[in-house]
Amino acid sequence: MSKFWRVFSYEYLRHVLRKRFVFALLSVPLFILFFGLVGVLMVFLEYNPRPVGYVDLSNALQTRQPLPSGANDIAPVVELRRYADENSAKNALLAKQIQAYFVIEPDYLHTGRVKLVALDGAPSESIKSEFSDFLKANLLASQPQLVASRIEKGSILTIISADGSRRMNSEQWLDIAIPILTGVLFIIAINASGGYLLQAVVEEKENRTMEIIVTSVSPDQLMAGKIAGNLSVGLTQLLAWVLMAVAAILLMANFIPSIQNPHISQQFFWLVPLTLIPAFVLVAAFMAALGATVTEASEAQPIVGLFTLPIMLPYFFMNQIMLNPSGPLATGLSIFPLTAPVSLPLRSAFMDVPFWQAALSILLLVACAAGAVWLAARAFRLGMLRYGKRLSWQELFGRA
Amino acid sequence: MPTIELEHIHKTFGSLKAVDDVSFQVEAGEIFGLLGPNGAGKTTTIRILLDIFKPDSGRVSILGGAMDETKKNRIGYLPEERGLYQDTPVDRCLVYLATLKGLSKSEAVKRVDEYLARFDLIEHKHKKVKELSKGMQQKAQLIATLVHRPDLIIIDEPFSALDPVNTQMVKDLLREERAQGSTIVMCTHQMHQVEELCDRLVLIDRGHVVLYGQLEQIRRQFAGHELEVRVSSPLPEHLPGIASYAAVNGGFRLKLEPGSVPQNILRELVSQNVMVEQFEIAMPTLDEIFIQVVKGTDV
Repeated sequence: MSKFWRVFSYEYLRHVLRKRFVFALLSVPLFILFFGLVGVLMVFLEYNPRPVGYVDLSNALQTRQPLPSGANDIAPVVELRRYADENSAKNALLAKQIQAYFVIEPDYLHTGRVKLVALDGAPSESIKSEFSDFLKANLLASQPQLVASRIEKGSILTIISADGSRRMNSEQWLDIAIPILTGVLFIIAINASGGYLLQAVVEEKENRTMEIIVTSVSPDQLMAGKIAGNLSVGLTQLLAWVLMAVAAILLMANFIPSIQNPHISQQFFWLVPLTLIPAFVLVAAFMAALGATVTEASEAQPIVGLFTLPIMLPYFFMNQIMLNPSGPLATGLSIFPLTAPVSLPLRSAFMDVPFWQAALSILLLVACAAGAVWLAARAFRLGMLRYGKRLSWQELFGRA
Repeated sequence: MPTIELEHIHKTFGSLKAVDDVSFQVEAGEIFGLLGPNGAGKTTTIRILLDIFKPDSGRVSILGGAMDETKKNRIGYLPEERGLYQDTPVDRCLVYLATLKGLSKSEAVKRVDEYLARFDLIEHKHKKVKELSKGMQQKAQLIATLVHRPDLIIIDEPFSALDPVNTQMVKDLLREERAQGSTIVMCTHQMHQVEELCDRLVLIDRGHVVLYGQLEQIRRQFAGHELEVRVSSPLPEHLPGIASYAAVNGGFRLKLEPGSVPQNILRELVSQNVMVEQFEIAMPTLDEIFIQVVKGTDV
């Protein structure tokens, strides 16, 4: 086994075999799961099974239709009780037979006015939503079933590109969510692996292992092994999260029909690896270079943001990218190497990115990654045995 | 063929001349002392030897030529700045360092266990390095230096942080390595260890070589002006050729006048019927020579 692979496997396993790594790997899905569970819990906490009354002073609900049932709703539908007048509804409320009652005003059909009377604060939003559906179903009762159903469900708007190659409709929200989620996971993974690498290089300087290592391995092999090892830690994290996300989507597809057939463009699938891998190398090499130039990990922390903030920048302009994916801002962000890894796949969710732009962006990323590796190796050679004295920019970019 | 050859090495850092025209050779199978006061240029010289630093000028030959990647596997290095991966278990750290020296994983595991047993560290093999005492860490560092059985061992202050028992063990180990044919370059301030172990030495001061050669020759070079004499009858107050004398450890240390030779003094003592029990040329200690050379004072 070559020394590159020795360094690679040591760097990879030292992180992957730690409890901290497993915790970090599980923390993101657990975090998402936790918020999901909190959401469900909130629904249950808000859910009040006591019936809700209504008084129809407008006589608009002559032919009473059943409340549309939500087959996939988390909480069961609350019973709606009709009262002849407001007094009997009020008595039922005071007797705590119902949690609230709606009064449909006599001029409802002209004004749309409905009054809600409750004892202990307003009922949950789901009760209001249910009553609104109930009203809609009853008002449409005289219409043919097909018309009523269409009005209730609304239209499905599909946006199609002029050449017909791209289409998107309001039900396919997953097509947009996947590129956004991929970018978020990439940022988390790249920060983690970059952090590991920075720590690994600084640690070897701090604990003086460096001098032994460089008399065993060439600086180039050492740096390449370290970058590849720590980068693989980040890719392992990313891959594990993607697999978990796919599993979660497949599971959710049983309950949410609109995500059963996501339409992700082919361009997205090849753009993701072609941008993310050089971007990983670019950031990892920057981190390694940084680690070699400073003397303590704490010195590096303020500078780390210079590399990681631009990667997140496209999310600040996401609205503009979505509204105008071929505009100058979106194009510029997808070509600039540090913003390209998130912008380019994101743009591909809304349009077919012209080939020349994708090619230019990837070429620039690869060139910058190669330059960063060169810089990292140089910083490492110059700074590896500097204890207590930081490597200056003049030394780094000047003649060796 | 010498194991190490340095010819007219120069190295400057900014305005500081760290190494200035240093030349010496280390022969195969010897223990060679690389000595000098703090800041003399010893560590820079070692780093040039190991190709960590490039010299500004001069020629370096190690193990028969310029340094390359395969030669790194034949060298064991214990640097002055000690360091191991603090958060890693001792055995895993040592096995990793051994595999970087070209050993297979299985061979590295076997040898690391052997050395850990020999250095009384086997019970601590699964502990993290940072959980070991300073002395134990020093022993672990020595294992990392020796585990791949190098042809050339370069050790900087090998006895620091070691108790007398472990110091003796390391000395025995170095002698054993020499007996097996390894060449050892030892950098230390402990002159009595150099006297005990080294065959030859070089003394560097302010980047220059100020002493170089066989240990015994150097001592003789600085000897010759004093005699150690033990007698069982009184010593005459005045002896021709003696400038002064002083009682030392039950005997006398006689300082010769310029031009005086020991043979004449012995002849004089015998002619005056002094009962001589011991008569020898007083050899300066390496400590004294070191101070004399570095400070420019008499021994």
